[in-house]
Amino acid sequence: MYSAINSNGNGDRGQHWEAQLRKGCLEMAILASLWQSRLYGLEVLRALSEKSQLEIAEGTLYPILSRLKSEGLLQSEWVEAEAGHPRKYYWLTPAGRRRAREMAEAWSEFSTNLSALVQPILGAKTR
Amino acid sequence: MTNPVSVSPEPSTATRIEAYLGALESALRGLSPDEKHDILLEIRSHITDSVAVSQDREAAAQRVLRLLGDPKELARRYKAERMLSRASRSFSPLLLLRTTWSWAKIGMKGAVAFLVALFGYSVALALTITLILKPIMPSRVGVWWGHGDLNVGMVDHPERMHELLGQWYVPVVVVLAFGFAVGTTHALRWLIQRRAPKQIY
Repeated sequence: MYSAINSNGNGDRGQHWEAQLRKGCLEMAILASLWQSRLYGLEVLRALSEKSQLEIAEGTLYPILSRLKSEGLLQSEWVEAEAGHPRKYYWLTPAGRRRAREMAEAWSEFSTNLSALVQPILGAKTR
Repeated sequence: MTNPVSVSPEPSTATRIEAYLGALESALRGLSPDEKHDILLEIRSHITDSVAVSQDREAAAQRVLRLLGDPKELARRYKAERMLSRASRSFSPLLLLRTTWSWAKIGMKGAVAFLVALFGYSVALALTITLILKPIMPSRVGVWWGHGDLNVGMVDHPERMHELLGQWYVPVVVVLAFGFAVGTTHALRWLIQRRAPKQIY
């Protein structure tokens, strides 16, 4: 889905409409990145940029993680790293897993419908 | 993102990082000490990790501080959400007023909420002031009608106008002031509880 939107291929600034699309997906992407593993902030950033081309600025990520935690969707704990400084790991709460599933289902339905609409524009490209 | 605080012409990497964290700490004023400590520890940890993987520490530090953005802006994002979720559970006009003022600095919805707060509470306050003045100047405070004008409180030329409520002034205005205060509080709580932007999916 993302590669269909990022038709210019690179993950940099993009245009205003592209930014709006990314913002809407952001919360879902963050929850999704935590679906299978506990991660700390930097790992979430890497997961987002590697798996989805969603480059989000670090100054945006941390307040959102904080908010998701205060909404009860995430839980966190500090873990001492070998490097000497502690890292804050996050994971999904049951409520977070429910929300992630709801979002993923809604997103899937939305993008299926939209793909059908957009198919003629993409011409021969199949999904 | 604008450049973070810089201390001197050629600060060392460590100095630059400490300056950033110092600016972030003072911008986080208002949060509880625990929350502040937690945020600063996480951001510091993030910076350390980002710089550690790189050969060029100086460039890596500059990059990560740029990506984190202006410390005041970062703090504002942290505070805004905490303030809003606290306010959504509160009935305190003072907290609601302060919260909508911070919210207004971020965007349109907050600005609207702040204007509602300002208007509603100002009217309640003004009416309450007239209630205090009524026993002091009973013949000058009232609901005045004259020359197609309706005024609540005091007017310049009461002799030219007609007072409508008489001894009913106090009970009626008490109800009005109370109504405005309570109504505004509920309107603000409603606006704050529905603050989530529409998600696209």
